[in-house]
Amino acid sequence: MLTLLLDNNDSFTANLEHLLAACIPGEVQVRPYDALPELDFSAFDLAVISPGPGHPRAYPAYDRLLESGLPILGVCLGLQIINDHFGGDTARLPGCFHGRTDRIVFAGKHFDVARYHSLYLRQPASCLDVTARNAGGVPMAARHVSRKILGYQFHPESFLTTDGPFFIRHALDFFAAS
Amino acid sequence: MPWTFSQPLDPGSFASLARVLASQHRADLFFSGRGFPGETRCLAGIEPCEEFLVTPLTTGCDIKAFALGPGGPALGFLGYPYGQILRGLPIGKQSRFPLGHFKKYAVMAAYDQQTGALEITSRDRVIGETISALCRRTLPAAPVFSRPENLGPCQASLDRQGYQKAVSRALERIRDGDIYQVSLSIMFSCQWPEFDGPGLFFDLLNRHPAPFFVWFASGRHRILSASPERFISVRRGRVLSQPIKGTARIGAEAAIAALRLRQNPKEDAELSMIVDLIRNDISRNCAYGSVAVSGHKSILAVDDLLQMYSNVSGILRPGRSCLDLFFDAFPGGSVTGCPKQSALGIIDALEPHSRDIYCGAFMVIGGDNDLDSSVAIRTAVYDTSSNELKFYAGSGIVIDSDPASEYEETRAKAENFLRLVGDAG
Repeated sequence: MLTLLLDNNDSFTANLEHLLAACIPGEVQVRPYDALPELDFSAFDLAVISPGPGHPRAYPAYDRLLESGLPILGVCLGLQIINDHFGGDTARLPGCFHGRTDRIVFAGKHFDVARYHSLYLRQPASCLDVTARNAGGVPMAARHVSRKILGYQFHPESFLTTDGPFFIRHALDFFAAS
Repeated sequence: MPWTFSQPLDPGSFASLARVLASQHRADLFFSGRGFPGETRCLAGIEPCEEFLVTPLTTGCDIKAFALGPGGPALGFLGYPYGQILRGLPIGKQSRFPLGHFKKYAVMAAYDQQTGALEITSRDRVIGETISALCRRTLPAAPVFSRPENLGPCQASLDRQGYQKAVSRALERIRDGDIYQVSLSIMFSCQWPEFDGPGLFFDLLNRHPAPFFVWFASGRHRILSASPERFISVRRGRVLSQPIKGTARIGAEAAIAALRLRQNPKEDAELSMIVDLIRNDISRNCAYGSVAVSGHKSILAVDDLLQMYSNVSGILRPGRSCLDLFFDAFPGGSVTGCPKQSALGIIDALEPHSRDIYCGAFMVIGGDNDLDSSVAIRTAVYDTSSNELKFYAGSGIVIDSDPASEYEETRAKAENFLRLVGDAG
């Protein structure tokens, strides 16, 4: 498999690269956001959108990728970019949540997941199913109702997250099944 | 073949020797203060014979060619502004302070505080014998360091109102999701006409030991660093970084202070963010699956402060050198913020001063696979032509930060530095 990891000038992208490499057979290629307009997606089997700074509005070049038919996993800003593209609303999260874990229920199990976000899916896009929320109702995971697109608001690649590989394998299983 | 000489020496005699070497033989000193097991090496580079000054046009390859070439080890520093260049950002501020400076020496002295073994290696027999003769002599007692009575008024690059405004603007950027954490500093400067640099260095080393003490001469500048923080070391391909976040006074009961520090949610989150950032920064040049965190929220007592840190380790990828890894990870995440590139831009916009050496790194480069480095915090620079001493203090700003208390904390750090310099206590 050839995995494309798109880096939004983030400081956790290499952590995500190492996690993907541990969970997905084949090669992971990392490309910066600025290279996105010129990228040919046909060689890749999967694209992963990294976390990063700012509002998803500031990343319009993802529209072409999100309409390419490639299976897509988004992490943090990556999920917000997916939400923004499909018409959802992303806004400031009161209080923010940075560098701490939150206990969530996902796929029927409890996990401690690391959260680093100032913004959240205030209004998830109508074509997204929210598959996990935290105790306060903040969306923590969402997937497209008909396409191979899935995102996590938390950070599977953080050392604070228990069983980060689970979330990568879960995404691969979803892409294989849908 | 280099000329070598070794002899046992007691710590006091070694200190007297090193002071003479710094005063009379242009020695640069990379020392460990006493009381830190595992950090017992003291290095002195004596009579520099090759120097490399970093300019805006210098590439990482240029530094590698000098530092990893023959005649090492190379000792020196990279300033924070060179980190802005490495991360693809412009240097927003004018400064006459060099971007970096590395030297190789005619003579190297290595002293192990634990064993008391001194080893001198020289490129040249004559110079080597001159230096080793000093070791055999009973050196006259060093002149007593006289602390300045009054350093005169300190100028600050940001006053209370200015700093609090900068913190408030940083908090807005945090709420917008542009950063999770950012370090904001103030530069202080004062006049010190009769500056005795080596005297101050040994006075501080004695009274306030820390693991990474540096005395380094760069042109007209004299740099003194008393850092508690390792940035990156590489030993036979094993990479280690030990970021510090979270400080507490030891007070009456060290164990209680340590427990409070470890249980403080704000300090915990600050350290965790930086651990993830450092994992990322070393991962670019470490083998898949090799990067690990151990001893998360460990406590180190330095002087009268407790510091909370973690060990982030990895294995260097085949074909990469310690400097490839260093350049991709510089400047250190604990003094920038996260995400780093965004934080660097915000620091540049909010701080009126150039950080120069502050938040840069001091480096001892022994070869492709052999590096140690410290984060240049608790660091002062003296300009021998203007008699001006500059030093810096900063705080990490996170969403829970209160502008007024961050200002107080930063002032307290600066005043603490002045007290170290000026008081006997």
